[in-house]
Formats: sequence, C-alpha cells, structure tokens
Amino acid sequence: MKKFIAIAVLVITASFQNAYCQQADYFSIQYAVSFGTGDLGDFISKPSFRGGLLEYRKAVKDNLLVGVDAGWNVLYEKKDYDSYTAGTETLSGIQYRTQNEIPLLIAADYFFSVDQPFKPYGGLGIGTLYSERTTDMGTWRIEENPWHFALKPEVGFLYEISYSTSFKLAAKYYHGFQAGELSEPQGYISISTGIAIHL
Amino acid sequence: MKIVSFLSILLFLFSCQPEGAEYYEDLDLVYTNYDDEFNFSNKGTYSIPDRIVKIEGELGDGQLPEFVKEPFATQMLQQMESNMSALGWTKVEDPVNADVALFPAVWTNTSYYYWYNYWCWYYPYYCGWGWYYPPVVSSVTTGTLVMTMVADGDEYVEPHQVWTGLGNGVVSGAYNTTRVTKAIDQAFEQSPYLQVN
Repeated sequence: MKKFIAIAVLVITASFQNAYCQQADYFSIQYAVSFGTGDLGDFISKPSFRGGLLEYRKAVKDNLLVGVDAGWNVLYEKKDYDSYTAGTETLSGIQYRTQNEIPLLIAADYFFSVDQPFKPYGGLGIGTLYSERTTDMGTWRIEENPWHFALKPEVGFLYEISYSTSFKLAAKYYHGFQAGELSEPQGYISISTGIAIHL
Repeated sequence: MKIVSFLSILLFLFSCQPEGAEYYEDLDLVYTNYDDEFNFSNKGTYSIPDRIVKIEGELGDGQLPEFVKEPFATQMLQQMESNMSALGWTKVEDPVNADVALFPAVWTNTSYYYWYNYWCWYYPYYCGWGWYYPPVVSSVTTGTLVMTMVADGDEYVEPHQVWTGLGNGVVSGAYNTTRVTKAIDQAFEQSPYLQVN
C-alpha cells in the first residue's frame, strides 16, 4: 500500500510539474482601457474605457505560443464649443469625436518562465487595424475609415489561478501605419486584463 | 457554457456606445467665410434692409418674398446692427451711399431619416441596426440664418459677396431668439477682419 501511495504521489507530482513546464494552449477574453497616441491622441485626448479583445494561443514550443488577436476599442470625446479655421473659413460648434479601432492580428508570445504560476512574456503581433473616425458637428458628419498595416508589441504576464484558468494582464501598443484618408499613422496603448482558459 | 458567459461579458462591454448631443443647442453651428482680397478696414458704411427674407422656393416675376415675422425680425436685425457698430461700421439708410450692404435671410430644411422598422416586414435581419445618423428620429428640421455682405463701387464692377455669416441649428418647434442672437454674435466674433479703422 505504501508503495502504491508513493507511486501515486510521484505520478501526480510529475503531472503538475509537466503542466508548469509547458505553457498550454489557451483562449482569453479581456477588458481593455486605451489611450490614443500621436495623431489619435491629438484627436481624442481622453482615455477609452470601452474596449475588449479575444485571443487564442497555441503552444508550438514549451515557451513559445502563436495565435490570433481580435479586439475593439471605442475612443470618444465631446469637445467644448470651439472655432476651427481653414484658410478664410471658420466653423464654430461642438464636436463629437469617435474613433473605433479594430485590430485583427496574428501574434507570437515568448514566455520567459513557464515553471512557475507567474509567467511573464513578451510578444509581437502583425496584421491589420481598421480605424473608423467620425467627427459629428451639428447635423453633419465627417467619416474616415482606413485599414492600416499594423504592428503590436506587447508585454504582460499570466498568473495561474487554477489548473485550467489564468489571470492575464498585458500592456500593448498598436501601431497602424498611415493609410487611406487619415494622413497620419494611428496608434494607441492598451492595458488589458482578463482570464485565459487553458484548453 | 464558460464561453457563452465570456461572450456575454464582451457584448456587455461593447454595448457601451458613446452618447451624442443632448440638447438642441449642442447642434448649433456658425460658419463664416470672406474674400481675403477685399480690404474691409478702409470702408466704414453699410446698409441693411428693415426686413429679413424667408426663403421658400423660387419667386415669380414681381412676386415679393416672404418675410420673418415680428418681433423676431427686429430682434435679429438689432443684433446685427449692434455687432456692426461695435466693429466701427456706420449704418446709412440709402444703399447707394453705403460701402457694403448686408442681406439677412433665413430658411428651413427638413431631412427624413428612415431606419430599421421600415423594413422589418421584409426580413427581421434588417431590423434594429440603426442605419443612419441620427438613428432615433424620423425627421429633423434645421433652420439657417445667412448674412451676406455685398460690396460694389470702385473695387468691384458688379456686386460681389465679400463676407458670409451663417448660423445653422435644429429647429426646436418654437422661435428661440436666444440661439439666433447667439449665432449672430458668434459670426461677428469670429470675423475680426471686419473691423474698420
């Protein structure tokens, strides 16, 4: 009996050890807070609390996962009554500025540690970023909606809270290169947090 | 089941779309433009009609236009004259003796917006999307006041438009002279080049 218990403990320990030594595939859902930078930050200076993203990662090595990201952030600001001049023309009124950012990326994350519950990582995403910028003034609307080529460096960590679930916190920078009607690149920093379900 | 819960959370987050204008005044606009080759500073006199034209389609031969009712017309005219005076202009009764003439006119325009419930009978898929902005009204009527400054004389053989001031807003259903006079003030305030020596 003692021999059986010893073997059982060994097997269980080994299986947990294996779980910690290889980062498992996971699906993640996260809430995101975003801040515009550059031209987007000039257009909307307020942070966005309307955002979320979905991620799927598959392990290709012990500490390297690849997958896809899809997200949606809505940045919005009501500007005070102001005057806007271009050449000899001046227009005054309240502007309602909205910018939707929808990144669709393939991504790879490298985990610096996989044998502990706390698993920091760095990652890079590449793909496209759809920007939809609307400026409402009076009953008029200006709309610009280009698709950008995009890059997304990211750092963060997973913290295992159970065998199948981890807490995730990440800081990402999305950079959409200049495209379409918007004359400047569009970028924003996103702080996201959520859970990862290990598959 | 977990996935369904997560998607519910995501839908909740994404349902928080930004709000828009709350009051009629939030949609008021003032637009101005001018001829940058015209020298306003060496002028000084202007004339202005004692009534404001209400534009309601084309006029037939010999037909008089509609005019804005009193006392609203006088209130608006006094506001324009007050602003012109503050910029150094002197009003003259006879347009022949004036450097410029200021012509005020108003009109309204109604736009109709149709949205999902017009097509629910056809296929439920087309319901509930709110296709057009603003999505919660079936029509919107905007009122516009335009002030056109016209110059003639030595510099222009024919009457020439040298300044335009335009106020536009959603009509609230009752004459609101406060919004209109505010628009008049703003049009002159954002046109400092009208100042005469």
